[in-house]
Amino acid sequence: MHYSPLVERHFATPCNVGQLASGSDVLTARAGSQDRGVEILLSARVEHDRIVALNHRVYGCPHSIAAASWLTERLTGATLQDLARWTWREAATALEVPPEKWGRLLVLEDAVRALEKNWRSRPSNHAETA
Amino acid sequence: MSERLPIYLDYAATTPLDPRVAEAMIECLHTSELQGNPSSMGHEYGRRARARVEQARAQVAAAINARPASIVWTSGATESNNLALLGAARFHADRGKHIVSSRTEHKAVLDALKQLEAEGFSVTYLKPASDGIVTVEQVRDALRDDTQLVSLMHVNNEIGVIQDVGAVGRLCRERGVLLHVDAAQSAGKVSIDVEEMGVDLLSLTAHKVYGPKGIGALYLRRNPPVGLRPLMFGGGQELGLRSGTLPTHQIVGMGVAFEIAEREREADVVRIRALRERLWAGISKLRNVELNGDPERRVCSVLNVSFHGVEGESLQYALADLAVSTGSACASASETPSYVLRALGRSDHVAQSSLRFSLGRFTTEAEIDAAIVSVTQAVERLRSIAPKNTGE
Repeated sequence: MHYSPLVERHFATPCNVGQLASGSDVLTARAGSQDRGVEILLSARVEHDRIVALNHRVYGCPHSIAAASWLTERLTGATLQDLARWTWREAATALEVPPEKWGRLLVLEDAVRALEKNWRSRPSNHAETA
Repeated sequence: MSERLPIYLDYAATTPLDPRVAEAMIECLHTSELQGNPSSMGHEYGRRARARVEQARAQVAAAINARPASIVWTSGATESNNLALLGAARFHADRGKHIVSSRTEHKAVLDALKQLEAEGFSVTYLKPASDGIVTVEQVRDALRDDTQLVSLMHVNNEIGVIQDVGAVGRLCRERGVLLHVDAAQSAGKVSIDVEEMGVDLLSLTAHKVYGPKGIGALYLRRNPPVGLRPLMFGGGQELGLRSGTLPTHQIVGMGVAFEIAEREREADVVRIRALRERLWAGISKLRNVELNGDPERRVCSVLNVSFHGVEGESLQYALADLAVSTGSACASASETPSYVLRALGRSDHVAQSSLRFSLGRFTTEAEIDAAIVSVTQAVERLRSIAPKNTGE
């Protein structure tokens, strides 16, 4: 199995591991399951219209672990629109993930979509967009 | 990746060459008087090479309590299994076209059986219990009037459990059914006596017994003789059962390897078992680990462990300083979960979270201690970054 230098780095020293303490400004999203080979938990602190902190927990193969870690760096500072535009292909390209592992990245995208959905359904978000 | 080579704990995939074996092989390659074709009996070069081939045949035969004439040289256990199964089934097709085997056999048996199914044979694949054992009662219940052959491995390559081949052999003798045993993983670790076990065909390979890769043997009962249809045709070597020029240095290597393995077996087994127990004692301190296969009826060298809450590929990648296998080495290039662990009732993801540690003659206590540290650190790290089950 090929692992790119970026996968090696994020696997060896993953960034932003853990879960943010719950609060009115913290969103969480979970996707996948251990039975399916990948499970990802994202937690984001949102201030105004941006993610100011994004943490993760992940169970999965080296590509999945690296992609979840990389994602937390990539989407820190993101807006709701940035989240909506993000797709798994960006991680596949950046981390040189082989095609047989692309399915694992779809779980990562599921987690991002769930985070986006939770963000949209926040009461404060309704107020802002009303 | 560090420049140091990882600790080798994959002896069930292949063993390093014993220096004493290498020495005997090199002598063969260097000595001009042994350069002849062992089939060229018309001159001294051929006769001297033949003498070495026959000496090796006697060494391999002695290790399994067989007569030298019952040993047929092959390229390894895969060819031995194919020759035994395809050769015997086709030769004895008039006796019946039913074969009994198990779901946890090596691919070299399962794929040969698939070929026979394509040729019109029917195969019953017995499902072992969760401990990996196939009972003689299961075999008895599966036998039919048209059963001509039973094929059961002696020691499983993934989980190391030892099947009671002797009991199955007695049953097969009573019922007039041939018994083939894949002994690739048991030679040198478990006593093999083809007479006492009632075995008709037995597959062996050199490279699991500190011998060279590319050479193996098939034991074929000669009294009364077991008929076999060859797979290869040509010069008619090995009594027409396996044509092809005999590789003298490979054969000599296998002979010496088996002679050493049998002579040193008891001492090796005691030492290796103690190391395996030390490894398990260290690993089992981690919570949520599970030993695969019967805890008692197992070969001294294999430890197959499921690490719950850890993904298998990541665990193997994190253990770059250890050479271990996920599933069997032959199948671990794919992501498909081990069919052996699946047959034992393990779920796909538990099967994928399993590692096979296999120890051998050159494994040291220091290596085992280092392996325990590596495994503990890797498992704890991967579990620490995984989502908790409590629904955080």
